[in-house]
Parts: sequence; C-alpha cells; structure tokens
Amino acid sequence: MSHFIYAFRERTVGLANLFEGVTNKRVAESADAIYPRAVHLTMRILVIDNGGQWTHREWRVLRDLDVEVEIVPNNTPLEKIKTDGLVLSGGAPRVGVDAQKMGFCGEYVDKAGVPVLGICAGHQFMASHLGGKAGPSKVPEFGKTMVTVDDEDEIFKDLPTEFVAWESHNDEVTQLPTDFISLAHSDNCAIQAMKHKTRPLYGLQFHPEVENTDNGYEMFQAFIEICRAHKKE
Amino acid sequence: MFNADKFIDEQVKKVKAEVKGKAIIAASGGVDSTVCAALVSRAIGERLLAVYVDTGFMRKGETESVDSMLRRLGVNHKVVDASDEYFAALKGVTDPEKKRKIIGEKFIRVFEREAKKFGAEYLVQGTIAPDWIESGGGLRDTIKSHHNVGGLPSDMNVKLVEPLRDLYKDEVRKVARALKMEVAEKQPFPGPALAIRVMGEPTRESVEIVREACAIVEEEIEKASAAGKMKLPWQYFAVLLPVKSVGVHGDVRAYGYTIAVRAVDSVDAMSAVYSKMPHDVLDTIASRIANKMKEKVNRVVYDITNKPPATIEWE
Repeated sequence: MSHFIYAFRERTVGLANLFEGVTNKRVAESADAIYPRAVHLTMRILVIDNGGQWTHREWRVLRDLDVEVEIVPNNTPLEKIKTDGLVLSGGAPRVGVDAQKMGFCGEYVDKAGVPVLGICAGHQFMASHLGGKAGPSKVPEFGKTMVTVDDEDEIFKDLPTEFVAWESHNDEVTQLPTDFISLAHSDNCAIQAMKHKTRPLYGLQFHPEVENTDNGYEMFQAFIEICRAHKKE
Repeated sequence: MFNADKFIDEQVKKVKAEVKGKAIIAASGGVDSTVCAALVSRAIGERLLAVYVDTGFMRKGETESVDSMLRRLGVNHKVVDASDEYFAALKGVTDPEKKRKIIGEKFIRVFEREAKKFGAEYLVQGTIAPDWIESGGGLRDTIKSHHNVGGLPSDMNVKLVEPLRDLYKDEVRKVARALKMEVAEKQPFPGPALAIRVMGEPTRESVEIVREACAIVEEEIEKASAAGKMKLPWQYFAVLLPVKSVGVHGDVRAYGYTIAVRAVDSVDAMSAVYSKMPHDVLDTIASRIANKMKEKVNRVVYDITNKPPATIEWE
C-alpha cells in the first residue's frame, strides 16, 4: 500500500505508520546533482521522535541542509538505528518524572556510537540518564528568550554570543552529568546548552529547529559537521 | 531544498497511479486545498469533483468568491449549503475541542453524502504537516484537533488521499507559485472557520458580529500593507470575546462585548510572533469596529502573545 493512500483507522495504529514515507530520497538525488558523486559524502541522520510539536521541523531543517533524514519512533530497536548522527527530539513527556516514555533513547546514547544532539526533552533526558539531574524549572520559558553563549565550542562557532531563541519547557537540566560542561545560559535557565568533554554528545534546552530562533540552521550545520568529522575518524 | 516542480511531477504521477476511480476533494478555497485540487485535477481530470461546503461560518463574501475562483481554475466543482446543519449541531456547544470534533465529523458526513452522489470512493484533503502534528496521537500531545485529522470519525467509509501531508505552508505556497495560482498568497483560514473565532456558542447572531469584525480587520490591514505602512501578516483576524465591559456612547452608558484583534507573523505556523502593527492602523480598526457594531461591541483589544505560549487562533 502506498504511503499516502490509507484508511483513517490505519493512521492510528502507531508512530511507525504515522511517519511512513517521511524519508526523503529527493534530497539525496538533488545533492548528487550539485556535488559530483565521488566527493559528495551524504550524511544520514535520524530524528528520534519523543512526541514533540517540532519533531517534524527538525526533519525539515536537516532535509533543507541536504542531509538524508528520517523520523523514527523512540521504541525502534537499537539494531535498526543505522545512522551517522542522532537527534533526540523534544516531547510532551515530562522526563523529570516520566523517563520510560523516552523509549530506547538511553540505549541509543550509550551504544549507537554516533554524535547525539538532544533537544529540550531529549537534552533533559540525556542529562538525567548520564548521572545529572533534570526537574521542574523555577521559571518555565515559553516563546522568545535571550540566550548567552559562555563557550562557543563547535556548535556555536562563529555565531553571535547573544541570540534570540524559541523555548517551550516546564523542566530543565538542574545538574550537569559527570564530564559535561555548560555552553550557554538565559536569565531564567542556567543550562541552555551542554556538551560532553570528550564524546560528541550535545544538549540544547532551546529549539534551534524553530524558524524564530536565530542561526538555528547554522547550529544544525555545525552538528552535521560534527557527524561528518566523527564518520571520518 | 524543496523543489516545487519536482514535487508536482511526483505527486501527479502518484495520484494517477493510485486513484483508479472517482474522487472528491474537500475544497475550502484556501491555499492547501486549492493546490491539492489543481494537482489531483491534473492527474485524474473530470474524475475529480471539488466540493465546497458553506458551513455558515465563512467570511464575508467568501462563498461567492471561492465559487468563481474554482471556476477560473477550471476544476469541476460544486457548492453545498449546509449551514442549517452546522448551526443545529453546535447548539449549546462552547468547548473548543467539542466544536472542532463536531465540525470535523459534519464535514465528513457531508463529503460522504457527496461522494455517494458522485460515485467517488476517494476523499482528497489538503492536510499539511502542522495539521496532524498538532492533532496529536501516540506520544504527541493534542494541542488542537484539526478538523481534517483529529475531527475525523473512525467509521468513515471513504479512502483518504493527502498529497501534501509532509509539506508546510511556505512549501505549499511554492507549489502554488510554480502552478501560477491566484491563491498562492492568501492568508490561512482554518476549516472550523468563524465557529472558533466566537468564544462560546456559535449562533447566527454571534457569528455575524465576528464576520463583520474580521472583514474590517482584513480590509484595514490589507489597505495599510498595500500603502507600504506595514508588512502583510501571516494571519490577521478578529475574535469575539464573551467579556462585557462598560462604555459610554453619546453620554449614555453602554455595556457590550469585546473584540480581540489578532495578527501574527510566521513562516510555517509552528511558531509565530505577534505583528508589530502601526498604532494608527489599530486605531482605525478599533473605531470602525466599535462604531459599526455599537449595539454589541464597545471595546477592542490587540493580542500581543507569541506562539508559544499562545496559539494563532484562540480555540
């Protein structure tokens, strides 16, 4: 059955069906047209869906950046995760209190062996999974927020150190995991971005995939470069 | 990057291959469904019938202008007046999610009826990505049930075809421009229409107030934008609030309802900022609304919330 003709009932079967057909082969083809096949290294990144409102936006930004990208549900078995990098999406689950809704995200972080970018709930989950803490924000942030970069690292390289970011969170990282450093903060949230000191693990509390966030595409491009560098190693 | 020409070719081919018999399309006259109608009509021609439903919640002059637009587009179409049915179904209903679900179900029932008359087994819809994202399902929370997704009954007996479901509005506009369609730049107007711009029960009377207010907001903003005073917002409209307040009309106490004006800038409706409109434009809108509807409305406010935390429409 084709991916876009179906009876309504089948749509409610599960997320696997919901996202069937989201893989974008058009991009791979157009990228080949621009770059000669020999030098063009197509990057493949999976967006792990934790039920966020902006999961599909993450897919779209990566697609716009000519990455081969697919959205997969967070209960996809680890052996099916074949990718050069992972984005852990945000989600409705409040990970501070409901980590089991994050499916196999923990296994992916521990065993997939590729760079990981956790966004919002994905970022909070990564912190608590790796020994830090996430919990309710004293002041939740929704919509426009000013973020200040404290350490540009690779993810904010050459970008303005103060920028407008779009937020939507009730929880936040309240304690960094071992071997993580904080890269950015806002007035009401001390850890807006974090990274592991040696492994390519990144977390962002704000949403770089949202159109209103300044330089979001550049941050994703930086993450793609991190994946590319990791692949070559 | 998104390639509109390629998308058109692919979708026309796909529809040709997969829709064997007749199909009807739910056509509101908006960008999504009109683009969809054009694509599917290219693929199956006269086997497609576009059905426009007048729910009674349409804007001023909308039914007539959509009718003539579809005629110019050359798509086989018909207009169905179902307004009595809609007002009856929404009698006493004030909960926004209930309104959306009832409207969604009504749409399907009307389309099923029309599909039967036309002998169609497929229903084409211009569903785009934010519709099913916000409608929720699985892990995803329901922000609002879009009438074409969350409002669909589970026992529906037509097959759905949704060629645009992975696109965002800006990409649909690219397709519309590639097809040189006049609807390309039209502002979004969600299916539940004016029924969700009346906070509380949508009656013929309350809908008439918000219809008039929406017309004034559209007229003034389009005029200001054409004069170069402001950028045309992504979406701009009026909402009727059930809040009453005191005013004074010609030395006499007035006690009337409140209209909220909403105008936002966005790229894909998944996030939005309120439009920084010139004060003189707001001033004209407020005066015109209050003067025109002096028996009913004596206060006008401007909504300055972004999305998030708010959404674009109020319900």
